[in-house]
Amino acid sequence: MKKILRYLNIWWIMSRNSFSIFLSLKLSFLIFLTGKILRFIFFISFLFFILQGTKTLAGYTSNQAIFFFLTFNLVDVMAQFLFREAYRFRPLVVSGDFDLILVKPVNALFRVLMGGADVLDLITIPPIIFAVYYVGRLLSPTTAHTVLFLLLIINGLLIATAFHIAVLALGIITLEVDHTIMIYRDITNLGRFPVDIYKQPLQGILTYLIPVGIMVTLPAKALMGLVTPWGIVSSFVLGIVAIILSLRFWSFALTKYSSASS
Amino acid sequence: MKKYLSVFKISFAQEFAYRLNFIMWRVRNVMQIILVFFLWDTVFSNPGRVLFGYDRAKILTYVFGIMIVKSLVLSARAADVAGDIYRGDIMNHLLKPMSYFKFWFTRDISSKALNLLFAVGEFAFLFIILRPPFFLQTDLLALFGFFLSIALAIFIYFNLLFMTSSIPFWAPELGWGSHFLITAIVIEFLSGSLFPIDILPLTIQKILFISPFPYLIFFPIQVYLGRISGSVLLGGLAISLFWAITLWLVMNFIWNKGLRAYQASGR
Repeated sequence: MKKILRYLNIWWIMSRNSFSIFLSLKLSFLIFLTGKILRFIFFISFLFFILQGTKTLAGYTSNQAIFFFLTFNLVDVMAQFLFREAYRFRPLVVSGDFDLILVKPVNALFRVLMGGADVLDLITIPPIIFAVYYVGRLLSPTTAHTVLFLLLIINGLLIATAFHIAVLALGIITLEVDHTIMIYRDITNLGRFPVDIYKQPLQGILTYLIPVGIMVTLPAKALMGLVTPWGIVSSFVLGIVAIILSLRFWSFALTKYSSASS
Repeated sequence: MKKYLSVFKISFAQEFAYRLNFIMWRVRNVMQIILVFFLWDTVFSNPGRVLFGYDRAKILTYVFGIMIVKSLVLSARAADVAGDIYRGDIMNHLLKPMSYFKFWFTRDISSKALNLLFAVGEFAFLFIILRPPFFLQTDLLALFGFFLSIALAIFIYFNLLFMTSSIPFWAPELGWGSHFLITAIVIEFLSGSLFPIDILPLTIQKILFISPFPYLIFFPIQVYLGRISGSVLLGGLAISLFWAITLWLVMNFIWNKGLRAYQASGR
C-alpha cells in the first residue's frame, strides 16, 4: 500500500510538471486542443449523418453505433492521457539518456510509460465520459451490464497498457518507437466502428491477434447485453496474458539495452 | 529549368533516404482506406441499395479514388517550410539564385510522383484482395475535367500549405501546431478525403462549397464519377481557378509581410 501511494505521489509530481510545460505554451495548447475537439466533432457528425441515411450499421441501431464510437474514444483518450510519455521514449534511448532513468530509485518502466500525462487529453476526458453516460443510458442497460462495461473498459486499458509496453520494449531493441506507436494508433482506429463491419480474416485478427475488438468493441457490446459469459472470461484472460507477455518482453528488451551514445 | 530538374532528382532520392518513414506513411494511408472501405462496404452490403445518390460501385470507386487523388494532391513537402522558417534555414535558400516557391513546388511534384507510384501499387493490391465493384469512366471529356481539376487542386493545396507554413514568421512555436489543425484536421475532413461531402445536409454543403477545401479531393472524384458534368463542371472549374488565383495572391501578400517581419534570430 505504501509503495502504491509513493508511486501515486511520483505520478502526480511528474504529471504536474508535464502540465506546466504544456500550459506555458498557451497558443500551441489552444491550437492542439481546438484540433482534437474539431476532429471529434467532425467524426461524430460524419457518423451521425451516415446513420441518418442508413438508420442502422452492421445491424446496430444509431444509438448503438454512436456508443461504439464513444467507447473507442474513451479508451483511446484515456490511454493517450496516461501513456503520452511513451511517444517521447526514442530520444532517451538514442541519446543514452535512458541511463539516467535506469539509475534512479523509481521503476524505469513506470517512468517512461507514465512520466508525462497529457493535459490536452485530460481536458477532453470529462465530456467524453458525459457523452458515454448520456448515450449509454439511452440503451437502457441493466446494473450487471453496466458493471461489466466498466470492468471491460478497465480490461481494454490493460490491453492498451500492454501494447504501449511492447512498443517501448521494441524501441529499446530496434530504436524505433514513433512509427510503431503510430501504427498501433492506426490499428486501434479501426475500432472506431464495431469490428463486425470488417470481413474475415481481418475481423478475426482484430478480435484475437491484435485485440482491438476486445479493447473497444466488447465493452460496448457488454453494455448492450450482447456478450456471452465465455466472451467475457476469455477477454479478461487475454488482458492478463497480454500484460504478462508485455512485461516479460520489457525485461528481455532491457537486457539488450546497450547504453550507446551515453 | 535545369536546376529545378536537379532539385526534382535530389528530392526524389532523398525520399528513399528515409525509407522506413515513407513506407510507414504509406501503411498508415492504407489503414485509413481499409477503415473507410469497410464502413461503406457495410452500409452498401445490399448491392441494390442507393444512398445519398451513390450506388455500391460509385461509393467504393470514391474510396479507391481517394487513394489516387490524395497521392496527387495532398502529398507534398512544402509543410517543411515552417521548419525552415523557425530554424532560420530559410536564409540559406533566400540567398541562392533560385525561386523559393519554385524550389518547393518542384519538391512537391517529386513527392507526388513517388507517392503516386506507391498508391498505384496499393490500389492494385487492395483491388485484388477486396474485389470491389468499380466504376470505370470512359468519357474523355469527364477524364479531361478530372485531370484539370486535379491540376488546380494541386495548386490550391500548395498555396494553402505555404500560407500555413508562414505562421512561424510571427509565431515560431506554432509551426507543427498550425499544420496539425489546418492540414491534418480541417483539410483532411473538409476536402472529402474521408467521406463524400454530399452526405452532409445541404446548408453545410453550400457553406463548404464556398471554401476551397472540397475542390481538393471531393470535386475531382465527382468529376471522374460523372456526377458533375456540363455547366456544373465548368462552374466548379471556374471556382477552383478563382481559389487558385486568390490564394496565390494572398499567399504572396502573407509571404512578403512575413519576410519583412522575419528577424532571422539565431543566424
